[in-house]
Amino acid sequence: MPLNISSSDVILLAHATFGVTGCMAALWVFVETLNARPANTGRIRTAALVAAVCMAAAWICGGYWYVHFYPAEKAWILKGPWPFAHNVFMETKEHLFFITAILAFLLPVATCEKLSSNPAARKLVLCIAGLIAITGLAVEGAGAVIDHGVKIALLHDVLKGAQ
Amino acid sequence: MDSTIRSETAKLTAATAGFVLAAAIAVLFNTALACAKDAYAPLKDFMKSLSGHDWTTQGLVDLLLFVGLGFIFTITRVAEKINANHLIGVLVGAVGVAGLGLALWYAFF
Repeated sequence: MPLNISSSDVILLAHATFGVTGCMAALWVFVETLNARPANTGRIRTAALVAAVCMAAAWICGGYWYVHFYPAEKAWILKGPWPFAHNVFMETKEHLFFITAILAFLLPVATCEKLSSNPAARKLVLCIAGLIAITGLAVEGAGAVIDHGVKIALLHDVLKGAQ
Repeated sequence: MDSTIRSETAKLTAATAGFVLAAAIAVLFNTALACAKDAYAPLKDFMKSLSGHDWTTQGLVDLLLFVGLGFIFTITRVAEKINANHLIGVLVGAVGVAGLGLALWYAFF
């Protein structure tokens, strides 16, 4: 069966995949830091780097898609039954993501501390990793609402055409 | 008290403290800029003229601010003087205010 996958689809799915992977890497840092000791320092720093690289990739993919492909979907959303999917969820998501990204870039810096012997640094890394997971999942959830906003706008249009 | 506990420190290095403070400022700036460009169209147009899209410009400005302030605070050792727990509180508070501020702004304005 021939696959009909456009570059827009690939970029959008890559954006979401990198975002989720970044959140999971941050959770990995969180769990490892709860049991921080010299033996797992390397794993913590690797996971922090994975979180930062994934968020940078999510930013690049999402940014390219948002600038080049989103305007057409935005038009559908705004004339559909869920305009708030853009006006509230996309507007919040596109700016909230910057907060997640900044935290993700901060994480590798914070994990350079000696976490096994520094309780303040452990607390800091737990807070940063936790905030990345929370804001990142909020951004992912907003993405789902936006996607649904497009879907029901298209369904609404199809149903109107059929009547 | 055993030796492990005695050897524990509760201070952050100049680089970590500097970048934490820079991140707190950058996330608050991000929300302020998002609200300002939404409320004042000429600012949005100006940002659009710089990179082709206001969102792209905002991302670059946020990143430059975070990295720039991070290096400045590291070199000047300003943030290092702040108590580590207070610094963590500032970061968490800034992210909370900035995130909630964005959601409330776009939900009600």
